[in-house]
This record gives sequence, C-alpha cells and structure tokens, in this order.
Amino acid sequence: MTLLLQTFVLMKWPSVRRWSLLAIVFMGLSAVPIYGQNIPVSGVVKSTLDNEPLIGVNVVIKGTTTGAVTDVNGTYKLLVNSEDDVLVFSSIGSITEEIKVGNKSIINVDMMPDITALDEVVMVGYGTAKREDVTGAISSISGDELRKTQPVTFDQALQGKVAGVVVQQTSGQPGGGVSVQIRGMSSFGNNSPLYVIDGVIIGQGFDSGGGTNPLATISPSDIESIDVLKDASASAIYGSQATNGVIIITTKRGKEGSPKITYDYSVGMQQLIKQYPTMDLQEYAQFINDRAAVWGFDERPEFANPQYLGKGTNWQDELFRNAPMSNHVLTLSGGNDRTQYLLSGSYVNQEGIALGSEFTRTSLRLNLDNKTTDWLKIGTSLQLTHVDENINSTGSNVIAEALWQTPDIPVRNPDGSFAGEESNEGWIQKRVNPYAMALVNKNNPKRNQVFANFYAEIAFTKDLTFRNEVSGNFSFRTEDQYKPKYKFGLAERLTNEAFYSYSQDYYTTFRSFLTYAKVFNSKYNVNAMVGHEAQVSQFENINAGRNGFVSDNVTNIGSGDAQTATNGGTKGDNALESYFGRLTFIYNDKYILTGNVRADGSSKFAPDNRWVATYSGAFSWKINNEGFLKDVKRINELKLRVGYGLTNNQNIRNNAYLSLLGTVPTALSGSAQLTTNLGNPDVEWEKTEYSNVGLDVRLFNWRLSLSVDAYNRLTNDLLMQIPLPAYSGASADWSPGSIGAPYINIGAVRNRGFDLHLNSTNINKGDFTWSTDFTLSHNKNKILKLNTDGASLTAKLFDPEQIVSETKVGGSMGDFYGYVVDGGVFATASDFENHALPATNDGVTLPITPNSGGVWYGDLKFKDLNGDGIITEKDRTYLGSPIPDFQLGLGNTFRYKGIDLNIFFSASIGNKVVNEMRIRGEYPSTQFGFLKALKNHAVLALIDPTGSDSDVNNVYVTNPNTTIVGLRNTNGANQNQRFSDKYVEDGSFIRCKNITLGYTFPKELLGKIHLENLRVYANVTNAFLITNYTGMDPEVGSWNPLRAGIDSGFYPQARTFTLGLNIGL
Amino acid sequence: MRYIYKICVLFTVLFTVSCQDDFLDRPSLSEISAENFYQTKEELRLATAALYGKPWARWHNEAYIPLGDVMSGNIIIPYQGADLVELNTFTISGSNGRSYSGWKGLYMVVAHCNTTIKGIENTSATIAEADKNAAIAEARFIRAMAYYHLALLWGEVPIIEDNTKLITSPLINRNITADVYRFIAEDLIFAAENLPLTDAPGRVTTWSAKGLLSKVYLTMAGLGQSGGTRNQEYLDLAKNTAKDVIENSGLDLFPSYYDLFRTQYNDSPESLFALQWTVGAGWGEGNMLLTYSPSMEINPQKDGGWGGPLTSYDLYLAYTEQDSIRRKANFMLTGDHYPELNAAEGGYTATNSTMKKHIIGNEVDNNAPSMTFTSSILHTQLLRLADVYLVYAEAILGNNGSTSDADALLYFNMVRERAGVDPVTALDIDVIFDERRLEFACEGQYWLDLVRLSYFNPVKAIDRLNNQQRVTFEYDGDTKEATPNDPIGVISPATLATFTLELPVSEVIANPKLLEPAVAYY
Repeated sequence: MTLLLQTFVLMKWPSVRRWSLLAIVFMGLSAVPIYGQNIPVSGVVKSTLDNEPLIGVNVVIKGTTTGAVTDVNGTYKLLVNSEDDVLVFSSIGSITEEIKVGNKSIINVDMMPDITALDEVVMVGYGTAKREDVTGAISSISGDELRKTQPVTFDQALQGKVAGVVVQQTSGQPGGGVSVQIRGMSSFGNNSPLYVIDGVIIGQGFDSGGGTNPLATISPSDIESIDVLKDASASAIYGSQATNGVIIITTKRGKEGSPKITYDYSVGMQQLIKQYPTMDLQEYAQFINDRAAVWGFDERPEFANPQYLGKGTNWQDELFRNAPMSNHVLTLSGGNDRTQYLLSGSYVNQEGIALGSEFTRTSLRLNLDNKTTDWLKIGTSLQLTHVDENINSTGSNVIAEALWQTPDIPVRNPDGSFAGEESNEGWIQKRVNPYAMALVNKNNPKRNQVFANFYAEIAFTKDLTFRNEVSGNFSFRTEDQYKPKYKFGLAERLTNEAFYSYSQDYYTTFRSFLTYAKVFNSKYNVNAMVGHEAQVSQFENINAGRNGFVSDNVTNIGSGDAQTATNGGTKGDNALESYFGRLTFIYNDKYILTGNVRADGSSKFAPDNRWVATYSGAFSWKINNEGFLKDVKRINELKLRVGYGLTNNQNIRNNAYLSLLGTVPTALSGSAQLTTNLGNPDVEWEKTEYSNVGLDVRLFNWRLSLSVDAYNRLTNDLLMQIPLPAYSGASADWSPGSIGAPYINIGAVRNRGFDLHLNSTNINKGDFTWSTDFTLSHNKNKILKLNTDGASLTAKLFDPEQIVSETKVGGSMGDFYGYVVDGGVFATASDFENHALPATNDGVTLPITPNSGGVWYGDLKFKDLNGDGIITEKDRTYLGSPIPDFQLGLGNTFRYKGIDLNIFFSASIGNKVVNEMRIRGEYPSTQFGFLKALKNHAVLALIDPTGSDSDVNNVYVTNPNTTIVGLRNTNGANQNQRFSDKYVEDGSFIRCKNITLGYTFPKELLGKIHLENLRVYANVTNAFLITNYTGMDPEVGSWNPLRAGIDSGFYPQARTFTLGLNIGL
Repeated sequence: MRYIYKICVLFTVLFTVSCQDDFLDRPSLSEISAENFYQTKEELRLATAALYGKPWARWHNEAYIPLGDVMSGNIIIPYQGADLVELNTFTISGSNGRSYSGWKGLYMVVAHCNTTIKGIENTSATIAEADKNAAIAEARFIRAMAYYHLALLWGEVPIIEDNTKLITSPLINRNITADVYRFIAEDLIFAAENLPLTDAPGRVTTWSAKGLLSKVYLTMAGLGQSGGTRNQEYLDLAKNTAKDVIENSGLDLFPSYYDLFRTQYNDSPESLFALQWTVGAGWGEGNMLLTYSPSMEINPQKDGGWGGPLTSYDLYLAYTEQDSIRRKANFMLTGDHYPELNAAEGGYTATNSTMKKHIIGNEVDNNAPSMTFTSSILHTQLLRLADVYLVYAEAILGNNGSTSDADALLYFNMVRERAGVDPVTALDIDVIFDERRLEFACEGQYWLDLVRLSYFNPVKAIDRLNNQQRVTFEYDGDTKEATPNDPIGVISPATLATFTLELPVSEVIANPKLLEPAVAYY
C-alpha cells in the first residue's frame, strides 16, 4: 500500500521524478577523481525559502577545520586541497548540505530550511505536540495560508484546504454561515465540529441557522494557525463534544523583540455571478395571453400586443447590486523576556449583493503573556467584537423573492413612489414589491461578543506544570425589526409593527490540568496529563412587540400602542463536567504510543444515563528513524499512524428526557399548559467507534510531502428527534400545536473514506518557485440500522407539500427519492395506450380527459418502475444523493522575485442538487417565477381542426419532446409537479475559489522609506464556476442532513474583486 | 519551595469549585416538566383548558370548512389552490393538502388528549379521585370528538391511546371502523359519568358528553347496515341519551340564531362544546377563520381578508325566502347589509355571495383591542343543543318511513321556530337531513351527515351529492335573481368510495402498514 502510493505520487509528479533522476546522475558524475592543490572555490549561498542570500553560513572542508563564513551578500571564498574534498555548508535553521568539489570552481548552494528545527508544533488539546510526534489525524493550516482567499469569516476559507473537511456555504449573505463537516455526517442533528478558540470552547449548542454565523465575530487576520483534529485518537481528549471533530484556532501572540506594527487594508467589490433566466415582459405577456386563452379568462388589455412591450423589470437586476467591502486591520506586537503583547483592531464593512444586506464587524484583541516569576506564567486572550448586520428581506430565500415578481410591474411609479401589482383580476396574486420591502423594512441584529481566556501556569519543577484556565464566551444580541405601513399598488399594509428582542448567552469553562513531561535516558520520552473541566452554558432572552406607531421615524417599542403590546422570553442552561487524562510515550524517537481517556457527565440526560466514558489509543512508527532508512537522505519523514477510539455525542436539546409543558392562551383560564414535546426517559449518548490509519511521507529535502488517511467511523445509538408519522401528533415539520417529536437513539450509520493531502515544491530555481497544494477527500455514508424495519426518515418540500428525501437502511443520509419522467409528455394517442397512467391508492387509473381529475395531452409521463401498469407512490425510486463522492482542492503558488501568484480551485464531484426554483418556475399554472423554460410548454393541436378538442384521437402535441407540461384550465390529477428526476441535477462543480497576484517591494527600496515590509495585491474570489447545474450555485450547505442539497433559492455566493496592501513598520 | 503551599491551596480550590453534586441537575427554566406538573386540581384544570384551543388549530384553520362544507357542496373556494378545487370536483387524491391537514390536525388533538390523560393518571400527587376523573373525562370527551371526525372522514383509522409507545414502535395498523366507534363511545360514557353537571362557561359537562354520545349512537346505528334501515338498539340508545340531555340538563336553545354566532354570546347555554379561542395566538395557533373575510375593510387592522368562500347555488336554493335569518347568518348575498361589521364606518354591504358565519368584524366591533385576523375570538361551536334536538327527532324516526311523533316534532320545530320558519307536521329522513344542512351550514357538519347517511342508505347519500348544483352563482341585489355559473372543474360523479377519504400519501410512505387490512382493536 505504501509503496503503491509512493509510486503513484512519483508518477503523477514528473518534475519531482526528474529532479531525483538528476540527483542520481550528478552523483555518478562526481565519482570521477581529478587531482590538484589549493584550488580556489567560491559561490553564493541562498535560502530556498525566499531566495535571499544567507549570511553567516559556515563552509568547512569535511574532516578539517579549514573553512569560511558567508558575508552579507551570501558569498564565500576558500581554497580546497583536491577535487575529492567535500564542502559542508551548515547554518542554524537550515539543513546541512555536503557537496563534493569536483571540477567546479564556483559552487552556489540553495539551502533548505530545516523544518524540524523550526519545531513545528500542533495543538492537540490541553497541550501541544511536535508535528512529527503526532499520532492522530490532525491537519493544520497557517493563518497566512488562510488569508490568501481574503475571507470575511475564517470558516469560509477552509474549503478545499483541509483534506476530509467539507465546507459548504449555507448563505452567501455577508457574514453568513457555512456548514462544516469533518469526514461525513454521523449524526442527524448538527454535524458541526467543536470550535476551540484560544481555549474558549464555542458551545455546540449554538444555533447556526437563520443565516447569521456565530464564528463571524472572529477576524481572520488575528489567526496564527488552525488545527483540525479529525479522528478519535486526536479528538477524544475533548470527549463528548468532539465526536464530529475539533477545530482549534490559535490567535497570534506577541514575540520578544522590538515593537512591530502592521497595517492591512483591502477594498473590494462583489457581484452576482449568475441569474435565473426569467421571462422578460414580452415573453411574459405572450405567455399570460396564451394561458388566459386556455383558462378562459379575459385577456389583460395591457398585454394585447406583446410585441410593442418593452423588456419590463428584471427583478434580479433590481434586487442585486455590485456591493463594496473594505477591511482594515492594525496590529501592534512585541515584548521583552518577561512580557509579550499583541494588540490588534480590525474593522470590516461588507454590503451584501442583495439589496438591504450589510455586515459590519469591529473587533479588538489583546493577547498577553507574562512570566511573573520563575515558576508562574500568566496570560490572557481577550477579544471584544461588535457585529452590526442588516438582513432585510434577505433571509434564506432572497432568490425566491426576486423570482416572485413578474416583469410587468415597475420598481417605481412615474412619481417616484414604489410600484406594485395594480390589476385585480382573477388569478393574480398581490405580491409585495421586494425592492421596496428591502428598503422600508428594518431588520437589524447586533451582537457584542466577548471571548476571554485567562490562564495561570505553574511550573513545580522543570517537568511538572499545572495550568488553570478560566474561559468564557459571552454573547449579547439584540434584534430590532420594524415594518411600516405601505401601499405598493394593491398590496397594502395597514398597520405598522415593531419587534425587539434581547438575548444573552454565557458559556463558561473552568479547567485545570497537570502535565508531566520528561525524557529518560535520552530514549524514553514520557508525557502525561490529567485534568478536570466544568462547563456551564446559559441562555436567556426576552422579546417584545407593538403595533400602532404614530411615526415611522420613531420606532422604539415604547412608542407603539401599549394596548397591542406582546412579549415573550425563555431561559435555559446545561452543564458538562469532565475528568480526562492522556499519556504519550515515545521510545527512541521511533515508536509513539498515545492513550486518551475522558469521563463526561451531561445534564442533558436522565440521572441514570448521565455519565459516559470516551477513550482512544494510537500508535505511530517513525520508520525513517529506523536503521535501514536512517541514511536515506531523500526520505525526511516516513511515519505510519494507527488509531482507534470511542467518542460520544450529546447534541440534543436540553431536558429531552422529560415531557415539558408550555403556556398557551385560552379563553377558559387566560393561559393554560400544553405539552410541548414527547419526552423519552431512555434517551442516552450517541456512540461513535472510530478507527484511522494514516501515513505521513516527506521526501527530497521536504520538497514533497504527503499525508494519507483512511478511516472508518461507526456511529451507534444515533440521536435524533425522530419525525414520527403525522398520526403521532409529533411529526417533525412545523405545525402550531403539534408536540415536539421525541429524541431517541435510533440506529447506526457508518462513514468510511480517505483523505489525502499533497504538497510539493515543483520548481525552485533561481528566483522562481512553483509549489502545489492538493487535497482529496472521499467519504461514503451508509445507514446501517434504523429504529424499526422499513422505517425511513423523510424531508418534505412545501409547495406542493411532498416528500423529497428519504433516509433508510442501505442508503445514505438525505437520499433523494421520487418519480422518473419517462421521456416527456403525453403527445400522441398511442402514448395513452402504451404508457402507464396514474391511479388512486385503490388502483383505479385516472380517466383520459381534459377535464378535472383526468390525464390529458401535455401531462408528464412518469415511468412505471414496478411494472404494475399504473403510476402510484410505489413507482418512486432513488434519484441520487446530496453527498459528493469526492471533494478536491488544488492550489498553485508561483513566486518570481517579489511577485507572487496564487490560484486555488475547489471541486465537488458526484453530488446531486434539487433545484426547487424549477419545480414552481417551470409549471405553467405558476403564479411566480416565470422561467424562460416555460415558453417551451407542450402545445396542443387538433388533427381535425373542426373536430372535438376533447376527443383523444383528435389531439396531438406539436412539440412532443418537451418536458414542460401543457396549459390546462383544470387541476392536474396527473400531479405534474410531483417530485421527479426532472428537478434533480448534477451538482458537481469546479470553482475557481481564488486568484491572488501580489508584489512585495524589495527590502533595499523599503529601507529608504523606513518600512519593514510592503506588499500590494489584487484578488478575485469565486472567479468562475464550472458546472452543469442550472441554478445559481450548486454549493448548497445545510445544517440538517435530511435537507442537504435542496436549493430553495438561497443567497448566492458573490464574485469579489479585492485590492489590498500589507504594511509593516 | 515556599510557594508550594499556596499552590496546593489553589489546586484544591479549583478542583472543587465545580464538583457540587447537583452541578448536572439542570431542570428546564422556561417550561414546566410533566414530572412535576399535575400536582393540584388547579393544575389539572390548566392542562385540560389547553385542549380546547391550540391543538385544534391546524384542523380548524385548514380542514374544518373545506372538508365539512366544501366537500358537501355548501361552499366553493375556487382560489387558494387546487386542493380546494379537488374537494369540489371529487378528484381528491391522497396528496390533497386539506385532507392531510385534517388528518394531522385531528391526530394532534388526540395526541394532546393522550399525553394529558397519561400525565394525570401517572401523577404522584394526592388529588381527589373525582377531580382526577373529571379532568380525564374532559380530555376523553375531546379525544372522542376528534376520533368521531376521523372515523367519519377516513373510516378505518389507527386508534392511539398512548403516544409514548410510538417512540419505540411507530408503525401501526389501522383499526376497523366498528372498533373506532366503540372506542369513541367508551370515552364518552366515561366522560358522561365523570364530568360535572355544570361547570364554568365553555367547559364541557356531562351534558356535552351525553349530547355527543347520542350522536355517536345514531351514527353507529347505521354502521354496517344497508337498505335504509338501522340497528334499533343503537337508535334507542341514541334516543334515550338525547332525551336525557333535553329533559334533564336544564339547557335551552339560545333565542336568537343570528346572535349565536356573535362573540358577545360566546358560550351561550346552547353551546355544548366550543373551541375556546382568544387573542394572543400566533400564526396558525388560534382562530384564523377571519382570513375568509370577504373584505380587508371589515377585518381587524384591515388585514388578512383573503377572499370569502363562495356559497354554492345548491345551498342558496335550499333556503326559502322565510328562512332568511339563518341564511343571512350563514352567507351573504350581494347587497345584504351587516351593520355590526366595521360598525364605526357604517357597517358592510356585501358585494358577493360569500360565507358570513365566522366573520365577526374588527377589533372594535368585538371590543377586543388586540384581536388580529389570526386570532378571532369567536368560539367555534362543535356541538350545540340544537344538534341534540335534531338527533332526538331522527332517532325517534328511526326505521320508520315518516313520523309525526309529538316529541320528535316538538323539538324539531323548536329549532325551526327559533329560525323564524313554519313548523312541519311530519318528519322523514329527507326533511331531517335538509333541516340539519340549513341549521348547521358552514359549521362543518353536512359532510359528516352525508357520510353517516351513506352507512345505511348509500343510494340516498350518493343521490344527494349527484343531484347537487355544486357551482357558484351571480346574485343581482336589485332583481333578487340568482344565476348559476359554470363549474370550476368537471365534477366527477360521487360513488360509495367518495365517502371515504384516501389516506394521505406521505403517511402511507412513512408507514406502509397503513395499506394493510385494518385490524381489530378489541
């Protein structure tokens, strides 16, 4: 397996192979001996890292003390005795090079930085480890790497950068959320990983829904590194919260040295990438006329001559705009041997591409470390953030809002007032002008967030330290909404109303842990840690509403009519207490053994089910340190990792084991108590067994590095709020008065897959370097068991209400199920004879008639999959999965002198997306979303024009290959809108996520203007998208695995052009 | 090593700070848990009070009028989607949204009754047995009302008594119709025995239970029969139970038919069971029937009137000139004036023939400042004393072709006379069913009556449907002439199968066992 992979890598990367071949040829040539004495040799030593001259490199003739040191230009000169002499180039922080003199008089050397010497460390939870000693599957990404894509929130930038992590945007709204899944979905609830920011745990209970993103308060510019703990052997130390993986974010800290000031500025412009093709006014008028003729309505007089009409309003043009954004970050850092500090402030303003949406974040960070005494170190990470958003009319369905409008309605009347539908004839629904709504309504959430971590670390001895941490995540939110009175055409609102809410969330953690680290006999390296942690999460909120405001200018709640006041509020809390420990043992820098154990007690379960144990063990073998590989210079690292663990998940609502009662209004007693959920006293922890095998390879002086991991996650006792059939009164879909469905442990799901990360420096010559970064992830999700045989979990579409996805044993989460369209529409008389017809539950086929309740020409033909001659719900079949087969990321960085160019692609292969916009927009009876495709609706014609139009033998369809149904004035018993493969599209895509071109000014030049550093860059995000998907964007994230891949017209991602500069003083 | 001492103190403090025994006990701060509720008689009353409102909302707002009056040909709603058209044209498939709302809504009521009953039964508190039983009886009465609708609409339906059992085994069979009725009757007998003779206005009493029981007996009398005759035993039970209510309850018909449907007279003595709607309910949680208002102008905040349901030509023809009180209370004709609707602006003059019942005007008309169009305060009467009167007359008629039994005529004519129409001198099955239609129009009743009729006289039930003019009409307010319109779709002829709704498709997909033959419950 290992060899195969290596071969595969070498074959795929010709530049690397060529390089190694050259090395062999070179060594062969140098074997020819030539004699001489006191031969002068000179050259320049440069770093491969930045191609700058290296100063102070020792150059020594091997076996002697004769040598020289490089000067400020990196040059050296010395005399050698013979061509057999070998020069040894050494410098701290670089890999020592040995070069035989041979017949050369000039020997230039490019020295590789010694990466191990840099002591690359990885956050492993309650401590750090050297990268080379890690036993679990941990991927890291540096802050610099992250910032290449100019993200507004850091989670957006993870896409394609970390193998095994699937990142999907759930809303393109400024500061909008993304769904992040590490190695597949193991839970029916939220599959988000645990985020730990400088020790502050972002509680999993957070509600990522509603478009706003709790991680949006962190400024990406503050991030030093991100470590992703993927498998159980890595994450188990976080216990029950870590079953979906852990993302540890470390922010920058001050370093000893003179103060450094940096300022980053960027300004950008965002635009909509794609529009839905909607009818223009001429097309719309023609279509409405055609439809009115069939429906028997009077023609609308203003549509009498469509050819004289203009294009009308394109509502997508109106609702979307080119939106500016800007970003300022000022950072001050420094310190002495006692105290180090970092102070940073940032300000981001981003207008959304949808009218009325805006995101502003102001944040301040202070990171302090102080070595108070020889034995005590204290410090803090403190971040204060204020986020101010506008999310006017730009909820999850902003596209639907735009499609809702017809082109005959102008945005404004000639007098400047907002326009609206003026016609009051039948079948015209009064839509509200969305442009006006975005401007007149107010929906302004604000958040103040404090992330704080204080630590005190005591060193009892050199080996034994005790660390106490108190950390908190405090969030204070307000939401201020106001809807004024308006009259846009016939759409009228006669009351104004305001709604205001305040909520606060406290998430507090106390932890203490004791770490013992010692190397015995220079061979046995022991690291042990034990600790205790207690976490409390509390939330409270209150809201108020009033109507009857006298003025739209004064809209605070108190100004409304007191008689209309309403209010509400909730409170809740949960707690988690844990004991944990870890032991790492390294023998001779070859064999590493790690064990984790953790006991968690959660308030979410009944007392008997409260406590659970998490454990994991891992082993890794540094093969390159074995004798037989020790001298193979080309192999810098070869490490095999094997891990296994059991993690637990408690991601359910509070008190789910109890039935609760809530207050409802009644005329009998004012208020009464009604059951709100069906408690399940037996609900318990969800358990995941997790095994992982991985291999880390680094070759050719670190120029090629590869990590491959294969894993198997088996989750049992799946926790879910199970949607029971409607007769339970506790189904999952929203219905006032229904009882909340119970949480139960219902089954088992398996996630198997692999992920691969490859990094290679392809060319490193002179001033030019080219390096490539590649990630590949594959995950296969399979449901192994559900609570009862034949049970399935379903998700519905709402208009028309029908099942779209079914999750059942043997399939994967959120599989699409529906009918299959058989070619097109009923077009000839023989179609009715040869093709199965829909039938009632009792098996009675529907009559062939243009009348109500019948099937007729222009209706869709569905495939009779079970061959019983009729179309019933038994003809539904599997239509694909929203889960991609492969996710890829490919980044290329080119550097030439001061110029750098980075191009990054992300791709997703094999997933399906349901285009919900088409279900309504391609249906001729639609009231909104008139897509251009409708023009190709089935057109019925008579064979004998004088004959009957209801005679099955006298009608045909002139465009029989269409899949757009015909116009009918009767309701279609054929259910043409039933969910079918027609609406399931291939969601594969390749996205050019980012292109950045930068220029770093030369140091000499900057020295003259007293600058440390200056870089300017231009960046394009979402430059282009290659996909067959016909909607706006196939990347449809969802926090609910049962509703994954359903595109109901959400806020699309924008294309962003940015110009920026980084200045260092 | 002087700091070691300090450190040990710190160590101890930090390790113990969160280790309290009750650290992990976190009872809900916003809601009461069932485990510590149901402790006093007052708490039981709060629990049962909730069953009169919100649990019914889905059925009430989306299925009550559509299934009861649109399907039976009283009302036609050509807009608001194909579902309502299907109900008019008898092309109702298993994916009909109104049918699904009815199914789901009624089972929601059942679920709430069941959890309330279990909560009371399992309470550890010592509450007087009579009080516990009275509370359980309230819930069982309401559950019976829901099952009665389910049985009439779908026939064979699953009987669920304990919803927590569905957590572990959610896939259940349907039960045979006879067992569903037996279950309903047992609930009502228990309710009749344990409910008080009188209670606060709006609360059900033993008379409510007996009233519904008489109707259920009358329904059961026809079940499984054919050829127009019914089971005499059940007819007698129906008669005696109704008679008990009529003679012993001390209740009387409310004098004014028109005022019976005005909020000022909510919970009149005639009302045996009414949904206790009030202000403050959110979207879909309260009485949303004001969305059926013919005009925004007469609605609270002039909002939410989405167009009135149109009256059918058939129903229009059913009312005589003399029967104008009930007609005007049930539906408007073009030109009718309603001074109490938006009284401040001079009342409302109808511009079309739309439903009047449930339309009560705005917040000022009803002296309810915070009433909105989603929270009408009209209490929807699901059982009235007049119904028991007519059940009594029908039970006396029984298997006779006609009757002029004095008792039957007495109560039958009391209903007519209250409406200002002449008394009749003889009763037959058609007279009674016609009268029920006129009296209970727009109260969701007529379809239930037709299903009941189809049990023992399918020919007559089918004829009633197939002879209808299920179309809208134009009414000229000046000439007082009505002209029928074209149908809104081609109306399929009714058959016996028409009287049983198809199971919702999504339910069948979620539980294929529903398609298996129904099983016995007892």
